[in-house]
Amino acid sequence: MSQFPLTVTLTIDGKAFSVPKGTTIYHAAAQAGIEIPIFCYHDRMPPLGACRMCLVKVDKMPKLQTSCTLEAAEGMAVSTTTPDVRAGQEAILEFLLINHPLDCPICDKGGECPLQDQTYAYGPGRSRFIEAKRDFAKPVSLGRVLVLDRERCILCWRCVRFGELVAGDDALKGFERGFHTEVNAPFTLPVESKFIGNTIAICPVGALTAKTYRFAARPWDNQTVPSVCTLCGVGCAVEFDVRGGAITRTRAREQPAINDIWLCDLGFFGHNYVHHSERLRTPLIRRDGGLVEATWDEALDAVARRLRAASPSRVAMLGGARLTNEDAYVAGRFFRSVIGTNHLDHRTDAPPDGASLQAPWGMASSIAEVGDADAIVLAGCDITEEYPIIWLRMKRAVDRGAAIIAITPKALEIGRFIAHHLVHRYGSGAQVVSALMEAASGASPAAAETGGIPREAISAAGARLAHAARPLILIGRGALDAPDGAKIYAVLRDLAARFHAPVNVMRGKGNAFGAHLAGLLPHAGPGGRPLGEVRHDLESLWGATVADGAGLNAPGMIEAAGQGRLDVLYVAAADPATDVPDRARWNEARTRLPLLVVQDAFLTQTAQVADIVLPALVAPEKDGTVSNIEGRIQRLHAAVPGPGQSRGDWGIFAALAARMGKVIAYSGWEEIFEEMRTLIPGLALDARVSLNGVGDRVSGVGTEPSPAAQPLIPDPGPPDDPDYPLILIIGDVLFDRGAMTSRSPAIADLAGEPWALFHPEDASRCGIAEGDATVVRSRRGSVAVRAKLSSAVLPGQVFLPRGYDGAPANALVDLSEPVTHVQAAALAPVAGGSEGRGEEGAR
Amino acid sequence: MTDGNAETRERGNAAGLSEGAKSEIRRLMAQFPQRQSALLGALFVAQNEVGFLTPDALADIAAVMGLPTSEVTSVASFYHLLFFRPGGRHVVQVCTNLSCMLNGCGRILDHLRRQLGVEVGETTSDGAFTLKTAECLAACESAPAMLVGTERFGPLTPGMVDEVLSRYRRATRSMT
Amino acid sequence: MGEPVLLTYLHEPDQGELQAYSARGGYEGLRRALSMSPEAVTDEVDKSGLRGRGGAGFATGRKWKFIPKDPAVTKYVVVNADEGEPGTFKDRTLLEGDPHRLIEGIVIASYAVGAHLAFIYLRREFYHAREMLERALAQAAAAGMVGRNAAGSGFDLSIVLATGAGAYIAGEETALLESLEGRRAMPRLKPPYYPAVKGLYTQPTVVNNVETLCHVAWILAKGYEWYRQQGPPILISVSGHVARPGVYEVPLGTTIRQVIDRAGGMRSGRKFKACFPGGSSSAILPAAYLDTPMDYDALAKLDVYGSMLGSGALIAMDDTTCMVEVVARTVEFYRDESCGKCTPCREGTMWLGQALHRMLGGKGRVEDLPLLEGIARGMTGTCFCPLGESVPPAIYSTLRFFRHEYEHHAKTGTCDVRVMA
Ligand SMILES: Cc1cc2nc3c(=O)[nH]c(=O)nc-3n(C[C@H](O)[C@H](O)[C@H](O)COP(=O)(O)O)c2cc1C
Ligand code: SF4
Ligand code: FES
Repeated sequence: MSQFPLTVTLTIDGKAFSVPKGTTIYHAAAQAGIEIPIFCYHDRMPPLGACRMCLVKVDKMPKLQTSCTLEAAEGMAVSTTTPDVRAGQEAILEFLLINHPLDCPICDKGGECPLQDQTYAYGPGRSRFIEAKRDFAKPVSLGRVLVLDRERCILCWRCVRFGELVAGDDALKGFERGFHTEVNAPFTLPVESKFIGNTIAICPVGALTAKTYRFAARPWDNQTVPSVCTLCGVGCAVEFDVRGGAITRTRAREQPAINDIWLCDLGFFGHNYVHHSERLRTPLIRRDGGLVEATWDEALDAVARRLRAASPSRVAMLGGARLTNEDAYVAGRFFRSVIGTNHLDHRTDAPPDGASLQAPWGMASSIAEVGDADAIVLAGCDITEEYPIIWLRMKRAVDRGAAIIAITPKALEIGRFIAHHLVHRYGSGAQVVSALMEAASGASPAAAETGGIPREAISAAGARLAHAARPLILIGRGALDAPDGAKIYAVLRDLAARFHAPVNVMRGKGNAFGAHLAGLLPHAGPGGRPLGEVRHDLESLWGATVADGAGLNAPGMIEAAGQGRLDVLYVAAADPATDVPDRARWNEARTRLPLLVVQDAFLTQTAQVADIVLPALVAPEKDGTVSNIEGRIQRLHAAVPGPGQSRGDWGIFAALAARMGKVIAYSGWEEIFEEMRTLIPGLALDARVSLNGVGDRVSGVGTEPSPAAQPLIPDPGPPDDPDYPLILIIGDVLFDRGAMTSRSPAIADLAGEPWALFHPEDASRCGIAEGDATVVRSRRGSVAVRAKLSSAVLPGQVFLPRGYDGAPANALVDLSEPVTHVQAAALAPVAGGSEGRGEEGAR
Repeated sequence: MTDGNAETRERGNAAGLSEGAKSEIRRLMAQFPQRQSALLGALFVAQNEVGFLTPDALADIAAVMGLPTSEVTSVASFYHLLFFRPGGRHVVQVCTNLSCMLNGCGRILDHLRRQLGVEVGETTSDGAFTLKTAECLAACESAPAMLVGTERFGPLTPGMVDEVLSRYRRATRSMT
Repeated sequence: MGEPVLLTYLHEPDQGELQAYSARGGYEGLRRALSMSPEAVTDEVDKSGLRGRGGAGFATGRKWKFIPKDPAVTKYVVVNADEGEPGTFKDRTLLEGDPHRLIEGIVIASYAVGAHLAFIYLRREFYHAREMLERALAQAAAAGMVGRNAAGSGFDLSIVLATGAGAYIAGEETALLESLEGRRAMPRLKPPYYPAVKGLYTQPTVVNNVETLCHVAWILAKGYEWYRQQGPPILISVSGHVARPGVYEVPLGTTIRQVIDRAGGMRSGRKFKACFPGGSSSAILPAAYLDTPMDYDALAKLDVYGSMLGSGALIAMDDTTCMVEVVARTVEFYRDESCGKCTPCREGTMWLGQALHRMLGGKGRVEDLPLLEGIARGMTGTCFCPLGESVPPAIYSTLRFFRHEYEHHAKTGTCDVRVMA
């Protein structure tokens, strides 16, 4: 192609300039500062040429041309303002307006509506239309968050194409044709999408609006504050629109490295918890069995007294993903230097022997690199449920020809895009990855078992992987925490080494990566540096001694507490009651624990059983930084004040230090951040602090010394206990009902009642039908759920989502067994419909 | 010209596909390099079996073909010969385009309205006939023309219309 | 004037049978083609001067030459058998009367461009044609004319028959490809995605009309010189107020008057008033243009916007015809068949339909004449595909030649034509 010039020179409105070959006239004009009106064109999607608004005149071409579709060519002479261009644009606008209701004063889009703006700029001024306008029933509700007004729709197809091209969920579609054409969901049912908020964002008119924002504000009333979404680990750039001290809506902020311009619906509609009436406003102290309001002085004194009294080795701290980098760092400083304990961890939800404690959490690749991969191994990672925005990158990779090889115990909703979908019996993932490794490296099959998957399917996947130039491996919780997780992880690392693929450990929500970076780990300090190495730096910075020797990790703390070996457990921004893998163990630990302090924004399941509760701020109320799963550092801006007397987390630790006669003083988050920079190489705003190389090592920087690679746990096979015939699989879902999500009404509604997924055959054997109130019971406990039927789960397995406070999956689990077996039965309906809910594990 | 599909899409209905229909759809898919090419054919398989396109039938097609139900429904709604609501056993389609208009299709249509006792788009109370208009049937040499089921008639006179209707009525009766 | 070519055997009741077809010289063109190089076949078609009979009149040989030669590239041939242009019925006539001719043409075209899979996209309403085609395809396959090693030549070709589902726009070649891929029949962006570049399944694709491919079979059977001597022939579908409507084969360039005469003239006692020379997408011509040759260039060069030969559908109207009604019906057709993708076509056809309907209902206003003209102007040159662009010609030409009819409707609320007739 080198004989062709790489740039072309053209004139637009008489001015000449050069643009790269392939540039459209629309973009060429934009570069020259000439604005051409558009409706259907959106720069994240290929041109469509449907609305015809962007007409221009090109010399020697008889008809007007759409500038969004026409590529600039050498010597082209383009005019954007001649009378015929104006006439064309006026005609298009007139056509668009004849059936538009012109209800701008009551439209949420009013004030930020391209149609409104362009009508002023290019419109015909008066209407010649005297016929009846097209009428549709309006507005129609398409689920919990979306409202559709078909009369306002100008059929630009952006929303439809977003679903087809960007999200791959095909949520909204065009129906009928001609002037009956309408955008809708089939049968006007609620849209099935995790990304529908984006369609509201790109709709150029008020046809798609958010229920959560209806009539909430006019654009000019809003003050916009840039921030970061911390609801999953991706860390999308957002901006909060704030009016009267409250967030009215969340919008995406452009961040090419992470979310580009998109968000998932958890990000769009998940902010309402911030202003929920149940936010903690004052400290609480347990008196006579109940939690009662107290002053900060009382609460801090009480905590300080107990901490002072406890032996440092009997104090432990669980920190969570809601903390900023600075919060986590100060927490580490407080516990290491003021208390003198290294029992610090943020991995509350890791099972004791699983690979989650061996693998360094986070991505070795950048998020952007996912879009460039040509083969993606997805092991035990339900990408749309766990890190939805990363799916959009994977979708792009697929569009460019990449093959996804998914090895999961449950079929994924993106199955249509998965080239090799290896859905295996739970507990046999290691067999599948071992067979995949053999197939990819051309070895003759040695593994006898393949988790119920035909060997040809694995061979085909292996062959594809062997030919990949840019393979990528993602391992998620569904593999890491499986009984054979350690083996899966080990095989995948071998696979990675062989095919030069980075291994990305898709683990950790919110600012988990930041907690890691700040050193909320028992064996490592800031930057993930081993304690032995970083201790002296810390001591000189903090002017205090730092305890030596690795502390207890999260499961170790729970175990120690259960054995009466802890005096104080301090929980900040974590919810072990719902997060620990085995709830009975937590309950046991709690009973034996003399003091439980919880620092959080809500009365979480854990806070409900605490002795002292301290009210803390949430991310939109904080200044500071957070790190996402790929280690990118972004800035949070406090958008709104916290409720009541709630305080920022690092400030609480500083205040506690003062009560204990020690000084932890910082002028603000910046000072803390600067201090962290001296410890953590590469730490800088908007930069990536990668765990470079870490993914290739088992031990070493940032990771725990691993126990010897675990033997392959035999396939659990058909359960031996006929009373509990089903294997339980637990997984994360995007919309759940946890402490925050249950208090964001839109998210709680999207999540719905607690549910479980059964294979239709199992369901019929257990006498369960779709939607039945059902009880799932293990030897440990039981939960009440609504049954959903789907062949996404294999026969003999049942899927239960985490994160529903009303049906805690961890109540069923007994960690002393590799796999949890359950039984299921439909509940007889109870008048009032609240059949036996709240039933929890045996205490 | 709306055929009321939109309203029925909103109301919904339930009736899925038989195994036979599903394997016929799989056979159609095998004819094409890409499976979605079989979609129009599959929609007719469903329509012929169920009578019209029910949400369940559409969901079944989607499942067999590995397509989103939304896509299947959207495609179906584009085409005028695919129906989202029940019709009569025989669909009478009267061409009303230019050549037939110039040759008096208006009279024929009026005659049919009277004989069947229904308006365009409606089905006779015995479920035998649904009356529809059609765009140019490419039968202009025998204008005015109509299709009854898969059979084409023209040039039509009121007498001929009566004859055709009674033939179809007889056939229906002997079938039942 | 040459001998009839395409219609030669159409009156024979057994022409759809392979045996009869072969006995009358069928599949000779195919044998001859397969003995030539693909380039030579394309050249032969090129030299015949054949232009596509689907409406656009693009030179068939040239179209084939756009297809890349690289044998590693998968190519397809797609037959446009979706005949839907109002007034056109020649393709259906050929399909029902001479199905093997089409199959022969398909194999030749596929051989010429190196396609091994061909599709026939048949209009759903063509039930009888479908029966005939299915039968002929089965016979041709059994006789080894299609399939592996067609006619013993070593060339492989499969033909798949697909049907539409009721959409005129699916006749537009890119919308047809969308429909064939199982989607809504919405036209694709052109340029840059011409079918020859990125067609079916994004592969280079030839889309040809039924009649075009029947011509191809004859050209290869008899040679391009002979073919040119026959006119070259084209099929005209004549309908409306003529005495003997039907498909007529005439040499290219026969005048409108001569064609109407072939069809028995206007029905008894009536005078010619106007006609669509090339289907409802063309302009409407009054009597003054009766001596225009039915030829691509002659019609296109008239001083009437949108006049064209198109698919060769001559709809003749006599003096009892209300032109406002004709235009309203034409507009309604395009309104109902618009895919809805682009603004001017979707909204313009609806607005025009409403205004014309109002006028026919006696509620016209004098301002409606400039209004109709203005709406048409807004659609002219702004639509995504030719469907929307097909509407203005009927409006402009009738506002020009039959303005008084609009004025009468607008002023009196009644039609003067009926009274006059
Ligand atoms: C709205 C519209 C409808 C069309 N309908 C038909 C049709 O029914 N049959 C046909 O052969 N061509 C039709 N065409 C023309 C096709 O787009 C295409 O030009 C033709 O199939 C090419 O074949 P040819 O080169 O053999 O003529 C239509 C074009 C337009 C714009
Ligand atoms: S709803 Fe909005 S985004 Fe979707 S087609 Fe209509 S105007 Fe465009
Ligand atoms: S913006 Fe160019 S056609 Fe819509």
